[in-house]
Parts: sequence; structure tokens; C-alpha cells
Amino acid sequence: MKGQFALKLAYTVTWVIQLGYIAYLLSRFKRVREELKDFDRGK
Amino acid sequence: MKLLFRIFLALTAVALAFAAYQGLVVAPTEQTMGNVQRIFYYHVPSAWTAFLLFFANFLASIVYLLKRNVAADAVAAATAEVGVVFCTVVLVTGPIWARPVWGIWWTWDARLTTTLVLWLIYVSYLVLRRYSTGSQTSLLAAALAIFGFVDVPIVYMTIRWFRTQHPSPVIGGGENSGLDPSMWPPLLWNWLAFSMLAIILVVARYRLQMMEQEVEDRHAQAALQGSEQ
Repeated sequence: MKGQFALKLAYTVTWVIQLGYIAYLLSRFKRVREELKDFDRGK
Repeated sequence: MKLLFRIFLALTAVALAFAAYQGLVVAPTEQTMGNVQRIFYYHVPSAWTAFLLFFANFLASIVYLLKRNVAADAVAAATAEVGVVFCTVVLVTGPIWARPVWGIWWTWDARLTTTLVLWLIYVSYLVLRRYSTGSQTSLLAAALAIFGFVDVPIVYMTIRWFRTQHPSPVIGGGENSGLDPSMWPPLLWNWLAFSMLAIILVVARYRLQMMEQEVEDRHAQAALQGSEQ
């Protein structure tokens, strides 16, 4: 593997991991908000 | 509060962009490794941030054990999860850097092995929290976190205690170690930017934990009301 390719790959993979985690958090937020709304509707 | 968070979010985005520019453009090209050495500006700050997050998890776990404080438990959950994300970055960028420089992706030397063990400890912690049910979950997680944190200073010290494939320490490594002074600003900018990102992720994850707790409480309340009727 060439150095320049490794550098690009490392920076890209870092952001894929970080952005993937942010997307995972947002999906969990969405689900919890919906559950809380369901509770409020059921009152 | 929301406005403050948004301002901090914007500042973090600027800091991350500036830090990437520092690492990719401003930092000098290392003489023997060339441009691939610039992975250092993501690899090392991610490791330092992960260590700090695991330390925060350790402190929050102690507070939880002493006071049974729900907020401390949420902080512990948040810091462990975000710490695992940063530790994953370390474990992925390390081999990508190692392949062109060492000629191998991985070697079972002390630094790499203890870092992998550290990641496995905190993944186990998250699995315990996710799949264990009952009132003892937080208590068990806190105990695991306190014992698990023992590996952090071991990871840090391995390159001082053993001869490893991994390069010598950047700080306090003795003679013939350390960084060229011109490499420090890009390194510290990246650490600052990653620390700011970690704060945002921990705050978001903490809030999520508290909301999930609320959902759980409401489910329990509803079940109790149902059984009374």
C-alpha cells in the first residue's frame, strides 16, 4: 500500500467511523422521541 | 442552553476543519516516512481523547458506586461509548499507518495488544449495559469500569516498559524521542478539535441515556398501573 493512499484511507475511515456513530445516535434519538410521544398520546 | 450547544457545535466544526488543514498542509513532511506520517495527527489525538473519556468513565463509575446517582451512571455510559468510538479510530488508523511503514498490518507487541484488550474491555462494558436486565446492571457496569480502567495506564506505559514495534513516546520518552517543535501545533490543534467533538458526543449520548431512562420509567409505571387494575 502506498503512503499517500494510506493517508487518505486513514482520514476517510476516521470520518466514516465518527459520522457513522453520529448517524447511530440520531436514529436512537428519533426512536426515543417517538416512544415518548406515544406515551404522551396514550395519556 | 440550546443556543450555547449550537455555538459550540459550530466552533467544533471550524476547529475540526482547521485541525485537518494543520495536519495535512501546515505540518512538515517527516523525513523517513513521508506523507503517511500525517496519520499521526489523527491517530494520537484519538488515543489521548479515548484515554480521557475512559478516565471520565472511571470517575463517574466511582461516583455512582458511592452515591447511586443516576446522572453519574448516564455520564459513565456516555463516556464509555464515545471512548470506544475513539479507540476504534486508533485501532483502525494504526494498522493503516503500519502497513506502508512496517510492512505488516499488525503485530502482537505490548502496545498494540494492550490497546486491543482495552477496546475489548469497554466493548464488554457496553454489551453488559445493553443486554443485562435488572436493577444490578449499573452496579455491575460500574465495577467493571473501575477494574477495566487499570488497562489505561498499562497501555500508556507499555512503550516505556517494553521494547515494542510501536514508536517511542511523544511525551517523556527520554533521549532520542519526542517531536520536532513544528509538529506540536498541528498535534495540539487536532487534540483540541477531537476533544471538542468528544464533548459534543458525550453531551448528546448523556441526553439520550436520560431520555431512555425516562421511557423505561414510564413503561414500568404503565405496567404497574396495568397490574393494579
